[in-house]
Amino acid sequence: MTALDTSTRPASAAAHGAGRILPVARLHVVNRLQVLVVPALILLFILAVNMVIWWLILRSITDPADRADAQEGLQYSGASFYVFVYAVVIGVQAVAYAFPYALGMSVTRRDFWLGSALAFVGLSAVYSAFITLLAVIEQLTNGWGLGGRMFTVLYFGGADAPWYERFLLFFAAFLFCFFVGAMVSTLYQRWRVNGMLVFFAGLTVLVLGGIVLTTLTDSWPAVGAFFVAAGPGGLVAWSLVITALAAVVGFVVLRRSTPKN
Amino acid sequence: MSAVIEVEHLTKRFRSVVAVDDVSFGIEENTITGLLGRNGAGKTTVMQLLTGQDFATHGDIRVFGERPVENRQVLQRVSFIKESQKYPDDFKPKHVFRTAPWFFPHWDAELAERLIDDFRLPLNRRIKKLSRGQLSAVGVIVGLASRAAVTFFDEPYLGLDAVARQIFYDRLLEDYAEHPRTIVLSTHLIDEVSNLLEHVIVIDQGRILLDADAESLRGSATTVVGTRALVDSFVAGREVLHREGIGGLASVTVGRLDPAERREAGELGLELAPVSLQQLVVQKTGASTGIEQNA
Repeated sequence: MTALDTSTRPASAAAHGAGRILPVARLHVVNRLQVLVVPALILLFILAVNMVIWWLILRSITDPADRADAQEGLQYSGASFYVFVYAVVIGVQAVAYAFPYALGMSVTRRDFWLGSALAFVGLSAVYSAFITLLAVIEQLTNGWGLGGRMFTVLYFGGADAPWYERFLLFFAAFLFCFFVGAMVSTLYQRWRVNGMLVFFAGLTVLVLGGIVLTTLTDSWPAVGAFFVAAGPGGLVAWSLVITALAAVVGFVVLRRSTPKN
Repeated sequence: MSAVIEVEHLTKRFRSVVAVDDVSFGIEENTITGLLGRNGAGKTTVMQLLTGQDFATHGDIRVFGERPVENRQVLQRVSFIKESQKYPDDFKPKHVFRTAPWFFPHWDAELAERLIDDFRLPLNRRIKKLSRGQLSAVGVIVGLASRAAVTFFDEPYLGLDAVARQIFYDRLLEDYAEHPRTIVLSTHLIDEVSNLLEHVIVIDQGRILLDADAESLRGSATTVVGTRALVDSFVAGREVLHREGIGGLASVTVGRLDPAERREAGELGLELAPVSLQQLVVQKTGASTGIEQNA
C-alpha cells in the first residue's frame, strides 16, 4: 500500500533537490496577473501618460533649438523606475508571505531560498526582455514619434546603446532589486522591527560616512571618474557583487528564522 | 510497533521563558496521538520543533530516525497544519489546492475535492476575506489530502462549527483507516476527540504530565459520590486526584478501582462515575498549577 511506502522510505521522485526547488519557484509566479500582467499594464499606462505630455511639449514649443533642449532633458526621465520598485516589493513579499507558506508546505529554508533565487532570475529575464523590446521600439521610432525618452534614458545606456547592453543593464538592475528586497525582508522575518531599525541606521551611517569622507578628502571628482571609467559594464559588475552579497546574507539570516504570527 | 518520532531531553528557551523543559517521549508509527494541555503549555512549540520550523535549545529530536531541521528527506513526509498559517497576500483557496500537491508526493486530489464540498469552501475568495472557520477548513483539507506519513494538526478547528468539526473527525478516521499514518493532534476540545485518540500526551508548563495509552486511561480514574463521611472513609489511604463538595455531599476522584472495591462502594451506597479524558486532563493540569502556586 502506498501509505506503508511513505512511512518506510522516502518518495524517490521528489527526494532530489529539483523536486522541491522548482515548485518553490513556481509558487512565486502562481498568480500570473499579479506578477506579469499588472506591472506590464502599469508600465504601458505610464508610457501613455508620458506620450501625452511629450505631445503637449512638442505642441507648445515650436523653436527647434528649444525643442532639442527639452528633449535633451528627457534623457534623465525616471518614468520607468516604478517597475524596479515593483521588483523590490515582489522581493520583500517573497520572504514576508511565500516563506511562511513554503515552510507550511514542509519546504526547507535552503530549498525555499534556491527556488526563490530561480524565480528572481527568471522574472528578471522576462521583465528585462520586455523593457528591452520597448527600448528598441523607442529607439527605432525616434521616441515614439514624439522625441520622448523612457526606456533609453541615460542610466540605461543612453540613446544609442545596443540592445544586448540594455538587456544586461536591466537584467542586473532587476536582480539587484529582487535580491536586496528579499534580503531586507529576511532581516524583518528574523528580528522584526529591531532588525529594520539596526539595518537602516547602519545603512544611513555607512552612506553618510562615505559622503563625509569623500567631501573631507575632496574626492568627489575621483568618484565621478570612477563611474565614468566603470561604464555600464562596470556598473553591472559592481551591482552583481552587491546582489550576490544580498543573496548570501539573506540565506544566512533566513536559515535560522521561524515565521511568527 | 516502532517509534516514528523520538524526543530526548528536549528543551526550548525563548529568552527567559522555558517553553519546553527537558521533555522526552516517543510517538508510535501509525497511531493517532493527542497532544493536550492548556494555552501556553508548549504544545505548539513542541510541534514547531518536531517539524524543523523552530530550533531546539537542547536535546535531540528524531523523525524517521533523522533530525528534522532543514532535512528535505524527513520534511517531505511531514505535514504540519497550524492555526497561524500564513498565506501569500493574493492567494485564494484555489491557489492553495493548486500549489500544495507540488510539495506532497501523496496528495489525493479527489479527497481534497470531496472535502471542499463537505466544508462548502469558496475557492475563489481571497484567503484574507475568508471567515475563521473557512480558513481552518483550508488547513484541514491540506492536512488530510496531503496524506503525509506524519501529519500534525495544531488546533485545526478554530471557528469551525460543530457540524464541520464532526466532518473533520469523520473524514480523519475514514482516511486513517484506509491509509494508516501517524497523526498528532493538539486540541482543547478533548471530549470531542477522545474516541479518536489512541495515545495521549498531556503537557503543562513545558513538561509532560501524562504519556499513556488512551485505552489504559479510560477507567484509570473514578469519581466516588456520596455523603461526606462515607466517601471520606472509603477513599482514606488513596491518592485523591480531585475533590468537590456541597454541604454534606462529597465527590472525590481517585485512581482505578478493582471489582471488589467497586462492590464495596456499592454496598456502602456510594455512587461511582467514570471520569472522562477531559476531566482527567483538567484535574491533572489544574492540580499541577495548584501545587506550583503553593510551593
